[in-house]
Amino acid sequence: MVAGEHAPSGGRNWIKTVAYAGLIILLFLLPLFVDSVYYLHTFIITLIYTIAACSLRTILISGQLSIAHAAFMGLGAYVSSIFARELNWTPWLTIPLGGVSAMVVGVLAGYPLTRVRAIYFSMVSLFVGLAIVALMGVFQKYTGGDIGLIGIPPLPSITIPGLPTINFLSSKIPYYYFFLLLTVFCLMILHSLENSRIGMSWKAIAQSYLVASSVGINEAGFRVLALAVGCFFAGIAGAGYAHYNMVLTRSSFGFLSSVNLLIYVLVGGTGSFFGPIIGTTVLVIVPEIFRWLKTFAPFVFGGIMLLVVFFMPQGIAGLFEQVKTKFLHFQERKKPRDVS
Amino acid sequence: MFLETKELTKNFGGLAAVFQLEMSVREGEIVGLIGPNGAGKTTVFNLITGFLRPSGGRILFDGKDISGKKPHLIAKMGIGRTFQLAYLFPEFTVFENIVTSFNLYPKSSFWEALFKTPSYRRKELYILEQAKEILYLVGLEGVKNVLGRNLPHGYQKLLTMARALAIKPRILLLDEPIAGMSLEEINYAMSVIEKIRSQGVTILLVEHNMRIMTLCDRVIVINFGNKIAEGSMEEVRQNQEVMKAYFGREDAA
Amino acid sequence: MISDVAAQTVVNVLMLSSIYILVALGFALLLTVLGILNFAHAAIYMVGGYICYQLAVVVGINQWASLLISMIAVGLLGLFLERVFFRPFLKDMNRIVVVTLALIIILQATINVTVGSYIRRIPSFVPGVLRFSGVSVSGDRLATFVIGGVLLLAVILFIRKTKTGLQMLAISQDSDGAALQGIKTHRIFAVTTAIGCALAAVAGSLMGAILSLSPFMGDIMLVKAIEIVILAGIGSIGGVLIGGLILGALDATLPLFISGSATDLTGLCIIIILLLIRPQGLFGREV
Ligand SMILES: Nc1ncnc2c1ncn2[C@@H]1O[C@H](COP(=O)(O)OP(=O)(O)OP(=O)(O)O)[C@@H](O)[C@H]1O
Ligand SMILES: [Mg+2]
Repeated sequence: MVAGEHAPSGGRNWIKTVAYAGLIILLFLLPLFVDSVYYLHTFIITLIYTIAACSLRTILISGQLSIAHAAFMGLGAYVSSIFARELNWTPWLTIPLGGVSAMVVGVLAGYPLTRVRAIYFSMVSLFVGLAIVALMGVFQKYTGGDIGLIGIPPLPSITIPGLPTINFLSSKIPYYYFFLLLTVFCLMILHSLENSRIGMSWKAIAQSYLVASSVGINEAGFRVLALAVGCFFAGIAGAGYAHYNMVLTRSSFGFLSSVNLLIYVLVGGTGSFFGPIIGTTVLVIVPEIFRWLKTFAPFVFGGIMLLVVFFMPQGIAGLFEQVKTKFLHFQERKKPRDVS
Repeated sequence: MFLETKELTKNFGGLAAVFQLEMSVREGEIVGLIGPNGAGKTTVFNLITGFLRPSGGRILFDGKDISGKKPHLIAKMGIGRTFQLAYLFPEFTVFENIVTSFNLYPKSSFWEALFKTPSYRRKELYILEQAKEILYLVGLEGVKNVLGRNLPHGYQKLLTMARALAIKPRILLLDEPIAGMSLEEINYAMSVIEKIRSQGVTILLVEHNMRIMTLCDRVIVINFGNKIAEGSMEEVRQNQEVMKAYFGREDAA
Repeated sequence: MISDVAAQTVVNVLMLSSIYILVALGFALLLTVLGILNFAHAAIYMVGGYICYQLAVVVGINQWASLLISMIAVGLLGLFLERVFFRPFLKDMNRIVVVTLALIIILQATINVTVGSYIRRIPSFVPGVLRFSGVSVSGDRLATFVIGGVLLLAVILFIRKTKTGLQMLAISQDSDGAALQGIKTHRIFAVTTAIGCALAAVAGSLMGAILSLSPFMGDIMLVKAIEIVILAGIGSIGGVLIGGLILGALDATLPLFISGSATDLTGLCIIIILLLIRPQGLFGREV
């Protein structure tokens, strides 16, 4: 047992591992059952937003409810696109570069932001997001401004000796697998960090920054670290999106997009790592199902949100936890019996 | 001197909560800091531990000037503290509360934590051992897996002490450690404080309940942020200034 | 001619500032008194504009009466929102965020379904151009400033002079303490929300006459309200007036000198620099 892994029952971990593995295998087999381009597109978008939402939750668990996350996605997207377009760098290099740039800006913005907490952090983070999007408009020459940036190169085809060439323009399936692998990779890192001493320190700061600093946790340092990690993966998600969509407009990274990401995380539930995954899946796919409602469709989205707020205080994932606790009669973490 | 304040001053707007305070604690002592409500005791603690910046004066710890340093750096130097209210991590279990508080020793890097390297696991296992020891020292092993927010008040206060011990403090600042406890709990908490002291930790404590002063080697009385008396409990009791400061309060003398 | 441009700029600054302040004041009241970040505040501003439009244009009643009815109706809407959507979640920031964001979506969709998303306009409250000693100013813009000024004065007098207003202040400074002193906090929360929403409705109606109405007009205004509150400093009601004036001045004059998206950036930079110098805002209490 190591810091962060405080659920000692081995059986539960075993169930978890099987569940994770099963889910991933299912997702890998998915293209065998789904051949509609439109569905695959929806799944790809879900994967991209899952990375973004999970990285936003990393920032959230350190007590920082950021309303700038989509801007960092945009930063990664534009940096990667510009380097690939203007300098002909390969996207395999520019995508990580996009992540790193988002991280650098996140750290630069993060230090002044540590002066404010809770609601006030959220409000000030809004400026950071707005400033980034405004900057994209100023560098119109490279970003295409409000007209948009076109001609972003797709992912280059991969040739592995002995296997057929993987061509990303042939269909959506190679992209689907690329984003699935990317998502698994990013989520493994985020999961590992959360379940380490670093993650515990983030959660400690969120619960009481006073207590945390009294036991030697560097509040500012850990908050900036959470922003760095979160923004890095937002940048990666955005960069991946750029080379998939091949067209960018800065309005897709504005205030409303940041708010959307926040909704995915909060509706899914911040208490568990699964939260943003469930939230993103439900909130991307369900509105697609109800598209035929046209102008009435937003009521479905808003309705889900209200449903969650009124009946699932810990988000959708919290509901799973509640059910699980009931069924497994989980012995840990319950109220004390008299212990004198 | 182990811990020393020199002309320590803190103004809030026009009000001087602490004014040119001179006090000192020797290594190995238990010192009581007392004074009527609003005398500035908590403010002194906040100044020493870096939660407030002094408006003037200096704080010396082990010969080094620590005034105005960040709280986590002061914790790193070996000054532990508890808060007047039983602040804790409400969403962590008792054990997690303590484990999280081991930040200073031994330290793992970002990459070690990310890849859960053998060295990281070794360090964390060592921390778990240490945390268990503290759990037994304070007597919280029975409520190990209870969430902080579900803990009864007495236990919460004990937990805050346990947490402060996790930084291996050389001096421990306790703000009203037995406030709100039942008689039984008070006796138990006092025995814990004795145990902590016997491990060589210096203690500076604030308390309104005079029962605890039997533990103290020395008492410092402040009023309006300034020291008005110092000495053994007996000497302080006789002091005219102290009588005046506590005028109307029965538990003062 | 120079004086004409100057006068119009001054009126534009005052007009824009009044609208900003009307919205931001309600937003700030909810923030300090209820302690909630009401993302839906600017959606309420939008709804206020549309109610006024429906009454004045579709139903066809007197325009000033429409304004008044819209103000009252949205005030009542505020009472309802406070009771049903805010009160259960006051202590839970995450859920307040979700609930207020959901309200934006639902209010926008409601307007979209009932009125439609075409741009609408409310006819002028004071048509034509007024002339003062050789300077001409748009009547509507001047009217906006006057109405805004009168309402603000009324609200400030209400807060400073009535018992309810003083209790609002007390709660904003220390809500637990105020509850201990026997202030019925829920009643004050309701009054605060009603006032805040009513002010937003007036702003929305006036904006509908000066510019136009759209279901998404709140999105920009929400950002403005947050900017003003941050500029003002948390907990400072008086600061909202100054913050609104500053932002109004920036937004009304910057486009004269800089073009395009650089305006946004310059405004943001000024605010960010101010924040770096004074993180607690211009008038905020020191933390
Ligand atoms: N952050 C602050 N801002 C303004 N005034 C403060 C602040 N903290 C403390 N004070 C004031 O400073 C004075 C000293 O307060 P302090 O909390 O240090 O007293 P105390 O001796 O700990 O009292 P008690 O025994 O009630 O805990 C009081 O008058 C208090 O109101
Ligand atoms: Mg005190």
